[in-house]
Order: sequence, then structure tokens, then C-alpha cells
Amino acid sequence: MFDLSIIYKYLGSFIDGFEITASVSALSIIGSFLVGLMVMFACVSSNKLVSNIGYAYINCFRNIPFIVQVFFIFYGLPELGIFIDPYTTGVLALSIAVGAYCADVLRASVLQVDNEVIEAAQSFGLSRKLIYQKIVLPIALRNSIRPLGSIFINLILTTSILSTVTLNELTGAAKIIAAETFRPFEVYFFLLLFYCVLTYILSFLISRVHARLNRHFVTEN
Amino acid sequence: MSNNGFVPYDLIVLLKGIGVSLEVFIISSVIGVILGCLLGLARHYRVTIIGSISTFISEFLKNSPVIVQLFLIYFGLPIFLGIDMDARQAATITLSGNTAAFISVIVVSALASIDKGQIEAARVFGLSEWKILTKIVTPQALLVAIAPLVGLAVNQLQVTSLISVIGVMDITKVGQILNQRTWQPFLVWPVIGITYFILSWVLSKAGLLLENRLKKHQSWVSI
Repeated sequence: MFDLSIIYKYLGSFIDGFEITASVSALSIIGSFLVGLMVMFACVSSNKLVSNIGYAYINCFRNIPFIVQVFFIFYGLPELGIFIDPYTTGVLALSIAVGAYCADVLRASVLQVDNEVIEAAQSFGLSRKLIYQKIVLPIALRNSIRPLGSIFINLILTTSILSTVTLNELTGAAKIIAAETFRPFEVYFFLLLFYCVLTYILSFLISRVHARLNRHFVTEN
Repeated sequence: MSNNGFVPYDLIVLLKGIGVSLEVFIISSVIGVILGCLLGLARHYRVTIIGSISTFISEFLKNSPVIVQLFLIYFGLPIFLGIDMDARQAATITLSGNTAAFISVIVVSALASIDKGQIEAARVFGLSEWKILTKIVTPQALLVAIAPLVGLAVNQLQVTSLISVIGVMDITKVGQILNQRTWQPFLVWPVIGITYFILSWVLSKAGLLLENRLKKHQSWVSI
């Protein structure tokens, strides 16, 4: 029997879980963006060694499953004498892992900025820092809103993996509810729908932001 | 007697784990490609109900975490339908569905990229719709689709690591067991990570070879 009333009964636990998911996601989005910026600067650096390190970072963290990285941090850090809770572990692991994806997108859009624009800025005598700050980064960020948005939506879906390191976010909460009620089908079905609705709302918001930031471009329709 | 050290047998366990991971990956990819092509074709030709159902399913599967899909299939479905299912079957079913969802999107966009004029010309010559699809559209669409398909394959290989959560003895699960027995995370997890890295590297190199091979006949145009 398909019975969604139990969801209503356990709505409180779901909301608790959602709060954790939301805060972990928000912190990791900020963290991964910062990591992405740093790695991107390493990649576009004129120093061969530094740029190689940047590319190695991207390749390494994109080709190793997130769950392995989480386990490495979760079990590895206590060996080094650093004891942190699952929450911080999650934020750290997500920032490091998703940072690689962000770096790749940012690198691509920075390299796409026209050389003439940069040459013009140089001939006006702007310093390297100013060129990046006022010209290259604004253009690159505006171009990378969509790919970054889909990376961040993926990040929110990836937070569900943190339930394996005992963090009781949305999926962790659902696991407990499913075990208590013996109704896993309803619980996980509701959870899937919830994630879908959440990502739909977010992708709608991202397309609005994209439209807003690119409003001065003439569109065909 | 302490059992904390590594023994040669661990290597065999790891190899078995690689075998399980690859098996689930290959089976679910094959099923996923077939299913995804069917869903994509239904969407492309706007088959009345199946087309919209296909869109709905692929959006549903693309926008939700794989781990929850695994839980739904492994814990939820057997109770709901009253059937028996072991972890590996559940993993294969889930990953097939998930792969199919992504492939259907790639198929739709690849089919849409083919010039309408060519299809009209083929119709004028009296070719059947099936001939148009297999002889004209598919060879060109494959060229467009091959790069995203290879990317998807590398991604899905990493997604297989999630099946360890429902207890399938794949590479990650082997890592977890070794980690808990020897308590040497700095040795175990890098080895597991490098294993995945090598597998995806081989996969992407194979994909690149395939791509170059498919594009070979195009090269004379550019000379």
C-alpha cells in the first residue's frame, strides 16, 4: 500500500535534515568557488610548474570518486591527530572535490576572454591585478554562470553521499525514518521528488541570474 | 593473534573488487545505451505518450542523487512489490536507469544537430524513414555524440563507487574493509583512488582513440 501519511508524521525530521543539507551546501558552494578560483589562477599562471600543479589538481580530483575522497578525509585526518566532526569533513571534502570542477569551468572561460580586450587594457597601462579584477574576471564569471550553476546543483545532490560518513542530512534523516517506519519505498520516493523539486527551483533561479547578467546582450527573440 | 597487516590475499580481494565494479559498469552501460537510445528516439520523433514519459523519467533521474535511487530500488522496491533482489541486481538496475537518462539527452541533442535539409533530400530520393535513420542520421549523429558519451562513461565509472553503500563488494567496499582491518587510511585510500584513476584514464584514452577513428574519414576535408 502506498501511504504518504507517514511522511507528514515525520516532516520534522525531514526539515532538520534539510537544514543540514542546505547549510553544508551553502558553505561548500562558497568553499569550492574559492578553491576553484585559486586553482584557476594556478592553471593560467605563466609559471610552467605552477600551471602543471593546477592541471594535476583538476585531473586528480575529477577522476577519483567523491566517496573515496570523503573516506580518505574522514578516516585519514584522525590518524594525523586532527579530529573534526562529520559536518566539517563534509564541507572540506566537497570544497576540495567540487573545487576541481569549478576550476576547470573558470579556467575555460578565462582562456576564452578575447586577447584583444586584454591587449587594449595593457595599452591603457592597467596593472595585471586591475586587468584581472576589472576586465577578465567579470567577463569570465558572466560566461560561466550556467556551467557553474549546474556544478553547484550537482554539489547539492552530492551532499547525499555524506550520509555515509554519519552526517544526518536529508538522506541520512530519510535512512533513519525508513528504518523506523519500515516504509522505505514511500520515504525514498518522497526524497527523490524533494531533490527534484529543489534542483528545478535552483536551475530556474540560475537561468534568471544568467538572463539578468547578460541583459545588455541583444537576444534573437 | 593480530590480523592488522596486509597479506598477499588482499591483492586478490582488490582484483575481485575491480572485477565486480567493471562488471556492474559494463552491464549497466550496455542496458543503459539500449534503453537510452529508445527513450531518446521516442523523444526525438515525439511519440505521443512515450515521448513525454521519457522526458519526465530522464529529468527525474538526472535531478536526484544516485544514492537515493539506489536506496529506493534496493530497500524500497522489494518491500513494495514483494520480490527478492540482491544488491548487485539492484545496483545494475539503478545504474542502467541512470545511464539511460543521461544517454537519452545526448541522443536527442545529437539527432537534433543533423541538418533538416539532408533528411528532406533523402525523403525526396524515396528512402524509407528507417534507412534515413540508419544510413544518414546515425553516422553523423554518432560523431556529435561520441565526446559527451565518453565523458558520461568516465563519470558513470565513478558513480559505480556508490554501489558499495548498499553492500556490493566493489572497489570502494574492498577499500572500506581493508581500511577497517588494517587501519591504515593513508595507504588504503590512495591505492583505491589510483585504481579508479587508472580505470578512468584507460577509459578516456580508449574513448579518444574511438573518436579519432570515427573522425578519420572527415580529415580529408580539411586538407
